[in-house]
Amino acid sequence: MIPKLSQISPLLYEFEWNSEVSDKLLQQQLSFKAKLLHDFNPKIVDMRIGFKTLAIILSHPIEFTEIDNWLKSFDSEDSSYPLPEKIREIPVCYSLETGRDLEVLAQSKKITSAELISIHSAPLYRLHFYGFLPGFMYLNGLRKELHTDRKSVPDRIVPSGSVAIGGTQTGIYPSSSPGGWHLIGQTPISLFDPKQPIPVFASAGERIEFIPITVQEFDQLKRHPQKPKFK
Amino acid sequence: MIRDIGYLNIVKTGPGTSVQDSGRIGFTGFGVPTSGALDSRSFTWVNHLLKNKDSDAALEICQPGLKIQFDSPTLICLAGAKTDVKLNGKAIADHGIHAIYENDELEIGAFINGSVLYLGIKNGFQTEKIMDSRSWYIGISSNDYAEKGDLIPYFTTQELPRFTASKVKWDFSWALQPIIKVYPGPEWKLLDEKTRTLMEEMDFTISHLKDRMAIQLEETISHKPHEMATAPVFPGTVQLTSGGRLIVLMKDAQITGGYPRILQITDAGLSVLAQKRPKQRIRFQLKNVT
Repeated sequence: MIPKLSQISPLLYEFEWNSEVSDKLLQQQLSFKAKLLHDFNPKIVDMRIGFKTLAIILSHPIEFTEIDNWLKSFDSEDSSYPLPEKIREIPVCYSLETGRDLEVLAQSKKITSAELISIHSAPLYRLHFYGFLPGFMYLNGLRKELHTDRKSVPDRIVPSGSVAIGGTQTGIYPSSSPGGWHLIGQTPISLFDPKQPIPVFASAGERIEFIPITVQEFDQLKRHPQKPKFK
Repeated sequence: MIRDIGYLNIVKTGPGTSVQDSGRIGFTGFGVPTSGALDSRSFTWVNHLLKNKDSDAALEICQPGLKIQFDSPTLICLAGAKTDVKLNGKAIADHGIHAIYENDELEIGAFINGSVLYLGIKNGFQTEKIMDSRSWYIGISSNDYAEKGDLIPYFTTQELPRFTASKVKWDFSWALQPIIKVYPGPEWKLLDEKTRTLMEEMDFTISHLKDRMAIQLEETISHKPHEMATAPVFPGTVQLTSGGRLIVLMKDAQITGGYPRILQITDAGLSVLAQKRPKQRIRFQLKNVT
């Protein structure tokens, strides 16, 4: 499927796909991104992806028709790569000590905390892109039963590593920050290291699995940090 | 050439003093904001006069009450807000090049006009480069804002100021005008006719909610809230929140957002906006991209 092209400013262009958020759309976006980078590098200085969008900033103005012609000749079938198979395992301690909203959220859903944990940790979540904070993963795949409006008054401080639910999404705060999501647990592992050439461990298109751990295991992993495992 | 390191000592500072360069480019794929100087026009000017590289790091000063001491000779250049500046207790120009000698003390007093002042230094400040940039940002650099006692490194130089360069007039009138030029944003077309007209005809007031991430405007716009999937945002993007508030994203803004992006401020307009203070009024002027 071919996205719609708009020019926002002399150097800023956006491509928008008119379809539902899905693995299929992500696959198209990532294939599109690879082809775009291949054909326009080094003219592209910045690229940002959303659930249905991809924006680029150019180093110098190019004629709109040059990008538009490129888009018209783009063959989405021809340049389609499959999504990666890798599954990243993230240990999560779901408890009141590590996720202060766990019980209240479960009560509001008329389920037990244990049921909430099992619904949350059952699916494999697809990593679409990073945004919001350095190392914050936008994940798709939260079960409908757990969709919850954001808090009307955001928390002033959400601890680093908090696993939370906001709207139709779930995510992990890589650093402590203000936030309006409901906190249900916490991971002991570090999700972002600015000193590494690649500061994150997972790439767009990979899947994330939340592995429930106990408070003891959480403390243990806090003392002896490990990199997330994958399969 | 052997370069000796000198240090600028922060003797006293208000909130909001930081080291900034031209920004952290190429890491947004990991969710890392661009950062960099809020007012790129004044920032570029200090580096230009010092014959520095465009990307060299400068000190960004957003509050009165800064007192600093240099332990080695260098050249500095000031530009941006109109301020009271004293060198060793004596009033000096708030713009242009000044020679600095060992143990010189510089004070930034009242801000008369504008809200951001840049202090550039010969060859730029030499704080740690992380992800290709020296711009301070929480969680990336070890500092986010300067505190009393911080030592900021630079290369000392014995070069005498070129007085032709130091006399270049710094005309700040560009920052005082209320007009902010904007392009229609990706979601502009979703606004109804009446709201679009209003956006161009209304005066908007800068609120006190103003930092390196964003500036919130005081007025609200009534509109039909529009659900949208999280999408890219940039410095200069104007978001319309579900409550009808307008939020202008600045250099430390997150790289994606979930609110409709109704306007995109021009680079020149963003420098003007960066110099505005709470209670000051602005008006958007729409510009076609082609």
